[in-house]
Amino acid sequence: MKEELQKVILAAREEIMQCRSLHDLMLLKSRYTGKKSVLNGFMKKLGHLDPKERPTFGKTVNLAKEALVELLTQQENTIKEAQYNHALASQRIDLTMPGRRQDRGSLHPVTLARREIEDIFVSLGFDVAEGRDIEDEFHNFDALNTPKDHPARDLSDTFYVGGDVLLRTQTSTVQIRTMENYAPPIRIIAPGRCYRNDNDASHSPAFHQVEALVVDKGVTFADLKDMLNVFVKKMFGDEIRSRIRPHFFPFTEPSAEIDMLCVNCRGKGCNICKGSGWLEMGGAGMVDPHVFEMLGIDPEIYTGYAFGLGIDRIAMLKYNIPDMRLLFENDIRFLKQF
Amino acid sequence: MKISYKWLQDYLKTELSPEALTDRMTFAGIEVEGIEELGARLKQIRIAKIETRIPHPGSDHLSICTVNDGTETLQVICGAPNCAAGQVVPFAPVGASFGDFTIKKTKLRGELSFGMICSEKELELSDNHDGIMVLPPDAPIGTDMASYLGLADTCYEVEITPNRPDLLGILGVARDLSALLQKPLITPKITLPATAGCIRDTLAIENQAPDLCTRYTARMVQGVTIAESPQWLKDKLLSVGLRPINNVVDVTNFVMMEYGHPLHAFDFAQLAESRIIIRRAADGEAFSALDGETYRLSSRDLVIADAEKPVALAGVIGGDNSQITEHTTDIVIEAANFLYSTVRKTSGRLKIFTDSSYRFERDIADETTEIVSARAAQLIVEIAGGTLLDGVIDVYPAPKPTIKVSVRPSRVEKLLTVAMDGTMIKDYLKALGLECVAEAADELTFSIPPYRKDLTREIDLIEELIRLHGYNNVEPRFFPQTIMNRRKIGSRRMLQDIMVSYGYSEIVNWSFGDPEDMDHLKLDAEDDRRKTVPVKNPLGARFSVMRSSLIPGLLKTASYNLNHGAGSLKLFELNKVFFSSNEKLPMEREMLSGLATGALHETFWKEKNQDVDFYDVKGVVEEILEQLGTSKLRIVQSADSFYQAGVGADILYRNSKVASCGKIDPKVAEAFDIGQPIFGFEVYFDTILESGKVKSPVFAAIPKVPPVVRDLSFVVSKEHSVADITKTIRSTNPQLIKRVVLFDEYTGKNITPGSRSLTFSIVIGSDIKTLTDEFTNKILQKIMKKLEAKHAVEMR
Ligand SMILES: [Zn+2]
Repeated sequence: MKEELQKVILAAREEIMQCRSLHDLMLLKSRYTGKKSVLNGFMKKLGHLDPKERPTFGKTVNLAKEALVELLTQQENTIKEAQYNHALASQRIDLTMPGRRQDRGSLHPVTLARREIEDIFVSLGFDVAEGRDIEDEFHNFDALNTPKDHPARDLSDTFYVGGDVLLRTQTSTVQIRTMENYAPPIRIIAPGRCYRNDNDASHSPAFHQVEALVVDKGVTFADLKDMLNVFVKKMFGDEIRSRIRPHFFPFTEPSAEIDMLCVNCRGKGCNICKGSGWLEMGGAGMVDPHVFEMLGIDPEIYTGYAFGLGIDRIAMLKYNIPDMRLLFENDIRFLKQF
Repeated sequence: MKISYKWLQDYLKTELSPEALTDRMTFAGIEVEGIEELGARLKQIRIAKIETRIPHPGSDHLSICTVNDGTETLQVICGAPNCAAGQVVPFAPVGASFGDFTIKKTKLRGELSFGMICSEKELELSDNHDGIMVLPPDAPIGTDMASYLGLADTCYEVEITPNRPDLLGILGVARDLSALLQKPLITPKITLPATAGCIRDTLAIENQAPDLCTRYTARMVQGVTIAESPQWLKDKLLSVGLRPINNVVDVTNFVMMEYGHPLHAFDFAQLAESRIIIRRAADGEAFSALDGETYRLSSRDLVIADAEKPVALAGVIGGDNSQITEHTTDIVIEAANFLYSTVRKTSGRLKIFTDSSYRFERDIADETTEIVSARAAQLIVEIAGGTLLDGVIDVYPAPKPTIKVSVRPSRVEKLLTVAMDGTMIKDYLKALGLECVAEAADELTFSIPPYRKDLTREIDLIEELIRLHGYNNVEPRFFPQTIMNRRKIGSRRMLQDIMVSYGYSEIVNWSFGDPEDMDHLKLDAEDDRRKTVPVKNPLGARFSVMRSSLIPGLLKTASYNLNHGAGSLKLFELNKVFFSSNEKLPMEREMLSGLATGALHETFWKEKNQDVDFYDVKGVVEEILEQLGTSKLRIVQSADSFYQAGVGADILYRNSKVASCGKIDPKVAEAFDIGQPIFGFEVYFDTILESGKVKSPVFAAIPKVPPVVRDLSFVVSKEHSVADITKTIRSTNPQLIKRVVLFDEYTGKNITPGSRSLTFSIVIGSDIKTLTDEFTNKILQKIMKKLEAKHAVEMR
């Protein structure tokens, strides 16, 4: 009888291991471990055995049954796992197809440059001041110490819309209005649009400029130099130095022209800097005492500096834009690059 | 720490009310965290006289009294056996509240009673409840009991900052306030009683840990009588939240509260070999404390021991083996100082936090040790009797030298902008106990009293000077500049960013305009945009005015790009437009305008692309207007001629046009050489900014119960707008209808021409309870009825 049991068990094991469907496995389960199963049949035959052998054989049958139940569970898990894997396999996809993106527009490079300039100066304690595009001659020229017969006032240089009403040629107008309305200490930048009667490859009749003005007790020429250096480094990187050299502006005394190291060749000389290694950035200087006097600020108590930079030029250098006309053509293939 | 207003008055006479004093303490840097009115219960009780008393006819133990409280005569039923006519008694009128219960008008066995005559127990004055409290016949009728007994007081809970251990006693606080209020400080006069014998013959002290115990003093009183403290002493302790124990312990606590320096009293009879040894505990040594617990000590703890055992955990808690009991006759008064870090570590490790450890761990001064010892000896003999032994044992291995600190008036001004001359500085600092010991040009040197360990540098003195001078007396000097219009600059950036996130590219056009463009836009002669500002010396006719609209420039840019191969475009410009005005300088306004044409989205393989339509540009405008903080917008047919009639909308906010959007009229588009449908919008940026402040978001509680969502479908004539229908639905129950969302519009098959089928999702929810189906159905029914009545809808 033992041999018979052995045979049945071997056959059962074989059948269970080969089974690949849950339904068939259920049938096997009832055949081998159910009430009317083969193994229970063995139990019924216990009576035919020598009473001494009965407990051992009974135990053997029970152990065999337990082992089969365990095997059935194992096989059930194996089949389920296989079915799960099969189902997932059919859900495989092409991972290289494009993902869903929101359409993204773009900011104009002049806006990008202006934002960066504003953020740098705000972090250095400056307020951003804004003003009118259409101004009078006083705020654009007189208050800035520009002589009555200065060529900049000519129709060939400046757009006029009325007798002494014009399109501002610089945002210094905002500096004047700020000094009219606020007492020192003053620490502002004035970004905005300016106009000059020019239209060629390197000049646009409308362009963008940022000017800075600092008025306080104890402001010096050294502060101006430091501030320009800090700004240029923050804008273009630590290796880009700036320098100032003597120049003339009616508004400032001493006046200076600002250069920065060429962003392209870092001073070696290239076609962008016309071989000089330096790029002209704008003008600067200490506010002329006469300007202070006109605005009722005592130049013996207060000193100040001012400088002006071209936003468009900064954008062109920053984003490597070769031609100013690209900025105002608004070609979508250009705009989408930013 | 607790401070009593009345106790404070012992050292500093001030007319300031308790509330005013709170203010002064706060500005002296002593933060008042809480105020408690003491005697509040007694304040309601008035002194009254029993005028008549007759027995209650319906009771054998009640009596009917008439009581006069100085203002009126009232009938009161009293159950006390000792009540009699002519007595002066404490009387609680109707309305007086005793914690849980309030005195009310009542009827007792048919007789009305308007108040209660109180026993001592009812007033929490003692446990005596045998009868009513009888006051002396001269007690002032009408006065409240709190004032009569002198128990009206205010108790402040103050926070003492760690740098100011000198404020850990009421005297210290009084000293600071005296400097601040410029009133004299009244310090207690200490006069030692007559002595006998000699302490050195009786007690021996040995300091084995001079690094942990910087000073130890002992005095002895023999033959004391341990008893309850006198009432004044008990009242004092109760007023600062301390429980009276017995006269000797109460004196040590009183002196601690006075000077901020804790003391301890031992029962001399319990000190083995009449010795006190200050030593580190042995590792694992047991100590049973006054709190009934036994602690295992370590060699990091400092103990006061006798020849055999620890009798106190130094600076933290006394031992139960040597405490003052009713049998005590001879006592040792310990006043000492212990290293603050040891006290802190021991107290923290064993979790024993006492009034004593609270003070010692804050590094109090060695110098007060001897003062509080004498003060306690004086009071103990006064109150508990006995004889003070002659002399004091004072183990003080290393007295600290007096610290001197200099301050420069010029430095004071430089730091504070407040000019103070030498006299002013000396006056302020003298009030704090700092003596000026040397004076040179622009330099004053002060000796620092030992209790002010926090004053070691010039800057510390300057801080004291401005504290006394008053932070409020520093004049503002520097006005930070407020030139920047943060709202405008921030809003402008926000608008640009929204446009970019909706797929629009920013363009920048020159500010010049072509007068002919006004015709191309079909603007009528009266339109404001015809009032342009001419340029006297223009670049050419096409640039001869300052532009009054951004739309022509946008259309030209669109045309340029469409001609250069772009099929779809989304463009915007945020810039100024100009109008002539009566002023010398023309008007400048900032606008946001945009155009969209072609495909709505960039191609995506999963979906069929749609073309831009009216609702796409309207969505952008809605987003911007919401982000700029506008609400309750009104939508009307656009007055702008460049939109196709019926497909252009003006959006009004507070009756001003703040935006428009629509389909560009095909003829207008054609004038700019554009042949495909193109949609535009404009946002009047400056107008919105001028129309009011943007409100910050305000949090609304998140509902605890999820809302119910129901769909409603019906056919309705096209005459009725979705805005009107939505309004009708919401108005049915504005509280519970949270959202009404258009779900679908359908025209065509099975719908009568001129009508459309609309489906709305209606979100109904209560913030507090789950709505039943029955309830939501009722709301839906109501909505349907209203829609049928107002819009003649036909339910589907
Ligand atoms: Zn170069």
